[in-house]
Amino acid sequence: MTHRIPTFHMSRRRLLAGSAALTVASLAGTSLFAQGAAQAGGDLVFLIDSLGPTWIPNNSSISSFQGHIWGHVTDKLVYVDGDGTATPWLAESWEQNETATEFTLKLKPGVTFSDGSPLDAAAVVANLDIWAAGRTEDGINPVGLFPKTYDHSEAVDPQTVKVVFKAPTLGFIPTLGYHGSILISPATIASPATEQADLGKTIASGPYVVDSWKEGDFVKLVRREDYNWGPAAVGHTGPAFLDSITYKLVAEQSLRVAAVQAGQADIAYNASPQELTSLRDEGFTTATPRYLGFVNGWAVNTQEAPLNDVKVRQALQVAIDRQEIIDTVYTPDWLLATSFMQGNVPGATDHGALLAYDASRAEALLDEAGWTKGADGLRVKDGVTLELVLHSNPYLTTSRAIDELIAQQLGRIGWRVVIRAYDVVTFGERVRFAGAGVPAYEVTRSFIDAGTVASILTDANKGENWFNLGESDPRINDLRDKIASAATHDVRTPLLDELQAYVLEQGYFIPRTQMVQRIYVQSPEVKDVVYNGVAYASYYRATKGSA
Amino acid sequence: MQGAYLNYAAKRLLQAVVVVLLTYVFTFVVVSILPGDPVTNVLRDPQNGFTEAEIAQIVAAQGLDKPIPVQLWNSLSGFLTGDLGVSLRSSRPVSDMIAEVLPSTLRLAGAAIAVALVLAMAIAYGARFLPHRYGGAALRALPSLFLSVPSFVIGLLLIHIFGFQLGLFMVIDPDSFWATFFAAVALGIPISAQIAEVLMANLDHEASQDYADVARARGLRQSRLFFRHLLKPSSLPVVTVIALMVGEVLGNTLITETVFGRTGVGSLIQRSVVTQDLPVLQAIVSLAALVFVVINLIADLIYPLLDPRVKLVGAAPRRVTTADELSGKVSA
Repeated sequence: MTHRIPTFHMSRRRLLAGSAALTVASLAGTSLFAQGAAQAGGDLVFLIDSLGPTWIPNNSSISSFQGHIWGHVTDKLVYVDGDGTATPWLAESWEQNETATEFTLKLKPGVTFSDGSPLDAAAVVANLDIWAAGRTEDGINPVGLFPKTYDHSEAVDPQTVKVVFKAPTLGFIPTLGYHGSILISPATIASPATEQADLGKTIASGPYVVDSWKEGDFVKLVRREDYNWGPAAVGHTGPAFLDSITYKLVAEQSLRVAAVQAGQADIAYNASPQELTSLRDEGFTTATPRYLGFVNGWAVNTQEAPLNDVKVRQALQVAIDRQEIIDTVYTPDWLLATSFMQGNVPGATDHGALLAYDASRAEALLDEAGWTKGADGLRVKDGVTLELVLHSNPYLTTSRAIDELIAQQLGRIGWRVVIRAYDVVTFGERVRFAGAGVPAYEVTRSFIDAGTVASILTDANKGENWFNLGESDPRINDLRDKIASAATHDVRTPLLDELQAYVLEQGYFIPRTQMVQRIYVQSPEVKDVVYNGVAYASYYRATKGSA
Repeated sequence: MQGAYLNYAAKRLLQAVVVVLLTYVFTFVVVSILPGDPVTNVLRDPQNGFTEAEIAQIVAAQGLDKPIPVQLWNSLSGFLTGDLGVSLRSSRPVSDMIAEVLPSTLRLAGAAIAVALVLAMAIAYGARFLPHRYGGAALRALPSLFLSVPSFVIGLLLIHIFGFQLGLFMVIDPDSFWATFFAAVALGIPISAQIAEVLMANLDHEASQDYADVARARGLRQSRLFFRHLLKPSSLPVVTVIALMVGEVLGNTLITETVFGRTGVGSLIQRSVVTQDLPVLQAIVSLAALVFVVINLIADLIYPLLDPRVKLVGAAPRRVTTADELSGKVSA
């Protein structure tokens, strides 16, 4: 663990830079220089809108904010890139049995945590156990999307881990590259929650270590010089190049961008989509990577009138002009939805034709369903006006604007839309999947493996029952069982394709657009940033300089 | 008389304790009747993918499903024994979290009050003595202007002009001298307005008194008249105003700290309110109540130093407050 200056003062920056230069000079000839000194060095400042509630690794690893820090401080067993391809990282290789219930991981030798202890099979077992179960009585949650089918794991020898599941779990390997699956030292895992909450005490194996931090203020990371086990897929395995990365909280969106424009910081996180074009014109780099997961859209409550009528759901599916959403609310950086999964998910197939805007078809379907236009232009059936209640998703800032646009689009075909916008707490209390009075739940969720969909379709096996179908749709039940038990991708991919077509045809899921949840505005001096499968920016191999 | 003072002090102290305890219970009840709790709120983030059943299980494991009176008793008994507990949000000891943010806020609040005092005196002096053509009268309108512009607008203006345009400070280093100074200006301006208004009114009153005429007749310079003769009697109500302002300063630090990216008590309150982090909220609110009570007590004690008449118990015709509480005891 490196301890330099415990507090954060930019006025000391020169002093720090000076002493760092002296240190580097006196270390001339070390491995760092062998890598090419021209690239090394530089301090990166990343302005972020929040630093999350807690630093307990299990409770914070999937946070949109803290995930950035964990990505630099920790390693994972598997690397998953922006296209969902899983490649070896600290697990050099893996094997599975025919039913995908047993996996054997071979670990890379010589990997150590920053306190010098080895990252061996025993350490991996400790991590798998805490991801699966957490320590809830101590306030340490399980990792939400870790496979619930986990049974146990054991260290066969120091480099070999055997993992056993109660049922086929094809998604296990990709899950190891998911942001929740960060490797922490067994000593930290064993420590109580109050100690795990102190980020400075957490020991991990990543290319950076925490130099200093202050809650709700900043986290400063410094390079670990003996790091030598980066993921081969990013094309670099040695120590990182940048000397330090500082994540500084600036809550005000316009200030984050203005600070980057003024040259006071290198990256502004979560800028407004509408600003991106003009920022690019000014010479700044912008990035809108997609994560792997569901698109932004509605899970329809099929028991709630009038969406309990398949014709009405099908009308809704084609009554939305999705291109207009991108043109009005977003920029061309956002992509049209082609399924209910993001286009980059392995197994996602293109069903864009089912989602094409067709207002006249929507009107015909509504006429067939008995919803006829009244004098005021609104559709009525049995004295009831056709109405859709929307609850804007508070986790997505553009949600409300999209709801308003869709309200106009539906209004044109005689469909009244009521928009309810709640804060995060009220939303969590009142708006649930398939909840009474919630005809459409707006989804924004990432996953790493398409097999996750099996757990949301129905209420079997504690399923989330997104569409309130229960077990009423035999075709869905059948596809769910087959997808969950598929042992190979060759078997599963056609099943997923069938499921996507069926869910969209039935109007169970109404996609809006593909999801971009992380927007980066970056100084042109920063080069070689890598975005992984969950759209976090990695500065592991990044460099900074005007060259 | 000393006995009376001790009696008085004990009574005030008891009041302070009751106020703090009531604040504690009140905060607990208000936050408890709100829907949700910090643990559930975090777990419900759709990225987590927890089902409602799993969430209920985790919440129960942490004792958050117990009846409110039981939770209140547990929390209150901890508080009374000096244990502020552990944050529900971050799992860190509340005392550590407060100790971490307190210095920054004290610096900001102290600097803001200093800025406000200097500014208020300058305005009051100018309004009293500057000739009309140099804007003496216009200065009288300044407090109203200061009060009507929200402090975050002033803050954003200062950041854009002095931070981004002139490069005097870095947004990412809010604890530097200039960043603190401009944050203090943003926070101090609305406060200076209220002090200036009280000060101007009292200056006008004092300046029309006979002793001021006498002083002027002796040929005293304006500045000497202001600082040596008028300021002291005029500042008596100002002390009350400043004492009351402390609450406002604490409240306004929340906005100023957010705008300037400072991490202090204000931003801690904001995060705790948003996430319903009861232990932290209760500790801070109780602390604020304590500070408020103590400051007002100090203000009462300063009174006799500024106005000798307050000491003459029962004889002072123009006593403003508190001494009436004293008088009963002292005459006995």
